[in-house]
Amino acid sequence: MSECKLSVDYDQYESGVKIVDLIEALAGKDETLQLESLIIGDWGGAYENDSSEIVEALVRLKDRFPQLRSLFIGDMSYEECEVSWINQSNIGPILAAYPELRSLTIKGSTDLSLAPAQHDKLEELTIICGGLGKDVLTSISEGSFKNLKKLELYLGVEEYGFDGSLEDVLPLIEPGKFPLLTYLGLKDSEIQDEIAIAVANSPIVDQLHTLDLSMGTLTDSGAEALITSEKIMKLKQLDLSYHYMSDEMMNRWKQSGLNVDVSDQQDSDEDEDYRYPSLTE
Amino acid sequence: MEAMIIIGNSGNRRTTGLQAARARLGLPPALVLDYLDVLQGKASLHSVAQSMGQTLDKPPLLRLDAPGEHFEVERELIALGAPDAAFQHEDERWLKFNKSVVQPISVKMAKGMMEAKGKLYHPSQWFRGYCILLTKLDREAARLWNTPRWMNDPKDIAAMFDKRHTHQILTSAGLPVPRRLAAPEAIPNYDTLRDAMAKERIYRLFIKLAAGSGACGVIAYQVNPVTGAESAVTTIGVENYLRRPPIFYNVKKLANYKDPQVIRQIINWLLRHGAHVEQWIPKASYRDRTFDIRQLVVAGKACHSIARVSRTPITNLHLDSDRMSLEEVGISEQLQASVRQCAEQTLSVFPRSTVAGIDVCLTSGSNRPYVLDVNPFGDLLYHSYYVGHDPYEWEMKMTSLSTTI
Repeated sequence: MSECKLSVDYDQYESGVKIVDLIEALAGKDETLQLESLIIGDWGGAYENDSSEIVEALVRLKDRFPQLRSLFIGDMSYEECEVSWINQSNIGPILAAYPELRSLTIKGSTDLSLAPAQHDKLEELTIICGGLGKDVLTSISEGSFKNLKKLELYLGVEEYGFDGSLEDVLPLIEPGKFPLLTYLGLKDSEIQDEIAIAVANSPIVDQLHTLDLSMGTLTDSGAEALITSEKIMKLKQLDLSYHYMSDEMMNRWKQSGLNVDVSDQQDSDEDEDYRYPSLTE
Repeated sequence: MEAMIIIGNSGNRRTTGLQAARARLGLPPALVLDYLDVLQGKASLHSVAQSMGQTLDKPPLLRLDAPGEHFEVERELIALGAPDAAFQHEDERWLKFNKSVVQPISVKMAKGMMEAKGKLYHPSQWFRGYCILLTKLDREAARLWNTPRWMNDPKDIAAMFDKRHTHQILTSAGLPVPRRLAAPEAIPNYDTLRDAMAKERIYRLFIKLAAGSGACGVIAYQVNPVTGAESAVTTIGVENYLRRPPIFYNVKKLANYKDPQVIRQIINWLLRHGAHVEQWIPKASYRDRTFDIRQLVVAGKACHSIARVSRTPITNLHLDSDRMSLEEVGISEQLQASVRQCAEQTLSVFPRSTVAGIDVCLTSGSNRPYVLDVNPFGDLLYHSYYVGHDPYEWEMKMTSLSTTI
């Protein structure tokens, strides 16, 4: 047993099953001692019940999961809960309780915090949401993730919790912050152009193999900064899928010789007010 | 060779598909009785039966097909359902709900209606008209033949076409259906709906026009109990005017309304015309999308099936969903068997009916089947084959050929 997903489904929620019961039942099994990956799906009524009980249970039972390397909290579809309605909590204690963790994925950002944001071995941090608060951005940029190789953040829109600006994103790409980082995803943003322009010639690009600016409102103006950057041209992979670039710009990318994903072009004829990132429901 | 009469709209995909299937099987073409001709008094079961001549001694197979996608038929049905239309008291016997239509349209007004693409004219009066037509056809057939051979009995069609009624029938038969929020009478409008939601602590619902078909008139509605935010995903659009009543219409692209005023208006309209409101059960996923299953049942046996895979909660919308096989979405043979069994049990609750498309979802997590809808005309499935036959061929094999061999 190397991976396990726990969720409270329709019938269980109707009959009063709690996610903590499921976690405790799992922790009671011997196989759990070998478990490498744990996925927490719908914990039941995530639109009103936050994840704090899950965090508390996982911290309390940490000795039962000595091999746990990968944790996903909130793996649920829109059928189970709109992503912007998922109530999270402070996930920081998980980081402290699981020093051997390599990968952490969080879906949903309502009331999410990450304090203390510190982990010496974590290699992958992904936050999927409709809008990421600037306090979380600040926690990550002021925190310490020495071993981080992949950082993937859905920035989202103001309506769903993105209360920051470019100024709050920039500290994440300061040189030396994540010395081993090779995959940077600053995606699903309503200020995708600003981010593209800021990232295009920043020193951090030199250490990356993949830059992921997908799912946002990228237009030709952000793309122009990218396509004219020598640093960008040295990437192994550039993900710009779901975008508002013109056909002309897409052609330029195709001729650039770079491994770039420009699929899922959105209708860019419409007014600027009608451009939305992908994950905004 | 078996004689057959189709009551439908001649020349549409359904009628031509069925005729082509009959031709492939070496069966003579079915005689088509157009809904429009019946409604305008230009033809009847009697006149078609007469034109069949000597075959009349053996009752022909009678098939009612979908009356939809034909404006003139819709207009005539709305006229037939008008409160000032001539009808016998008995004609209303299959109407379980909405016996008196709210804000009715007179016969004269109905007949004078002009076509406006996508407009939802008057769903409740339309359904009243359709039920009246079904009772009339049922009576006429009973006069012509001792034992009319309906593929689907008109009374069953009336029941399957009203989602409120279907839900009642399936619930009392013990079939797995999503829990209903409340009896239709208890939620006549938005405010009572919200009260019921708060009382039951149910925040995610499907509101379905009682007599709608496909994605038409469906809302995936949810309220965030913490923030009070609302979301209504639907194909229904509304156009408001200063000096005349609003127009409700059906669009191909889904909208996700967040504005409480718009949501209230659309929900009020749906509930006024009669709607079935049930819990939104999270459906099983295929990669980053979710799906439900259309399982056809013919003569008691599950046959053709397709998974409708979508990024939206409304999977029966063609624009935003893919049709895949059950194998392609990774459903095990054991689960497929549970879907088939669930669908067969569902049709068995309508013992006078031979064909229905049963919409079944598997719950996210435990993969338990739940019946979402029963479609008496749910056999229009493209590129779907069962032991080498398309749905129409299979139906003809099971109904027409078996009795002649």
